Amino acid sequence: MMKDNLEDFVREHQRDIRNNPAFRVQVQRMCQLIGVDPLSSRKSYMSELLGVGDFYCELGIQIIDICVATRSINGGLMDLDELLRRLIRRRLKGSEPVVEDDIRRAISQLKPLKGGYKIVCFGKRKMVQSVAREMNSDQAKVMTLAQYTCKFTMEDVRVAFGWDEDRIHSCVDDMLRSGIVWMDEYNEAYPEYWVMAFFSQLNSALTMANAE
Amino acid sequence: MSNTTAAATPGAFQFPEIYNFPPFFTRQPNESTWQEQRRQWCDLILAYYKHNRLYSLTLAEAITEPPFTNRQIHRSLRVDVLRELVDDLVKQGNASWTGAKNAKDSCLVLWRKPEVWASMIYQWANERGLFNTVLTVFELANGDDAVGQEFHNLDSVTLRRALDVLQSQGKAQLFVGTSDEDMGVKLFV
Repeated sequence: MMKDNLEDFVREHQRDIRNNPAFRVQVQRMCQLIGVDPLSSRKSYMSELLGVGDFYCELGIQIIDICVATRSINGGLMDLDELLRRLIRRRLKGSEPVVEDDIRRAISQLKPLKGGYKIVCFGKRKMVQSVAREMNSDQAKVMTLAQYTCKFTMEDVRVAFGWDEDRIHSCVDDMLRSGIVWMDEYNEAYPEYWVMAFFSQLNSALTMANAE
Repeated sequence: MSNTTAAATPGAFQFPEIYNFPPFFTRQPNESTWQEQRRQWCDLILAYYKHNRLYSLTLAEAITEPPFTNRQIHRSLRVDVLRELVDDLVKQGNASWTGAKNAKDSCLVLWRKPEVWASMIYQWANERGLFNTVLTVFELANGDDAVGQEFHNLDSVTLRRALDVLQSQGKAQLFVGTSDEDMGVKLFV
């Protein structure tokens, strides 16, 4: 009975569901409560009813596109806010608005892909990872350490965690090798290591703020 | 060597976002990051030089100025890194070492390749009915007829390269003068 009512509701409000992200999120939550997952199969009847199958598929493709294009710069790691900003900028005027929740759903649909798309968190930072890579806990700790400043020196790591030199070097080398961190040799004695994804988010936020 | 900025594009040059990233000025130890970095630098150099109508650079001087120095973030590219970048540009036909052989301390920045300049000049000469007339090289690029053309006030060394191309294609003949500006040229079919 509930399912029938829900289907009627969705059918009536299809346009609102596509164009109003907040409403869309609520409807999806309702579906989940009732035990219907509209995204479980693209051909699923519910997803067609909701008219969202194509929406998430298209979004997924746009996300992949942005991640692949920036991978050689950021090592396959991008701040979720930055991804959202880029998606909004990239989508044509008049196309459906997109919110963070949509990105999460689109990415969960991408899980089966070899690219290893997933959301990872470092402290308060939410990042989209688009390469199949397991970051070990040392690297994750350093990422969290750098979450606000975007950068760190080996000395910062030593002071924060008390690790020995070999352990720090090994961690930093891994991060450099994965392409998520760039080196700044301005101070040759204490090079700084910058997390591109953190900087990029900050910079693009500033650029957009200035442009408005 | 002239370095005119006569027809510079109006408006400030738009630097890419990565230009404000301090590590952009350090040669990256990670090979694939470096590949991306050098590609971005080469694009930036050509775009900057084109926008400002600059045609040549002396490495030791250039690194103290934009684009190789970003004063806002207090970073400068090192000379040896710039040398590597110029070698990249040379490989793609967008730069040419000048000065003492193997010194690699100065170069032309060919943001438009000589072949392209050559074809622009040739087309213009055709349109203006200037074939089989002897002009001075100076007049060609700086005369009234050249006003409004992309090659108006073109740097003389770059211009000479373009005319050399036309000569090697059998489309022009250069006549020796007492200087580059005095030099004469006749274009023909």
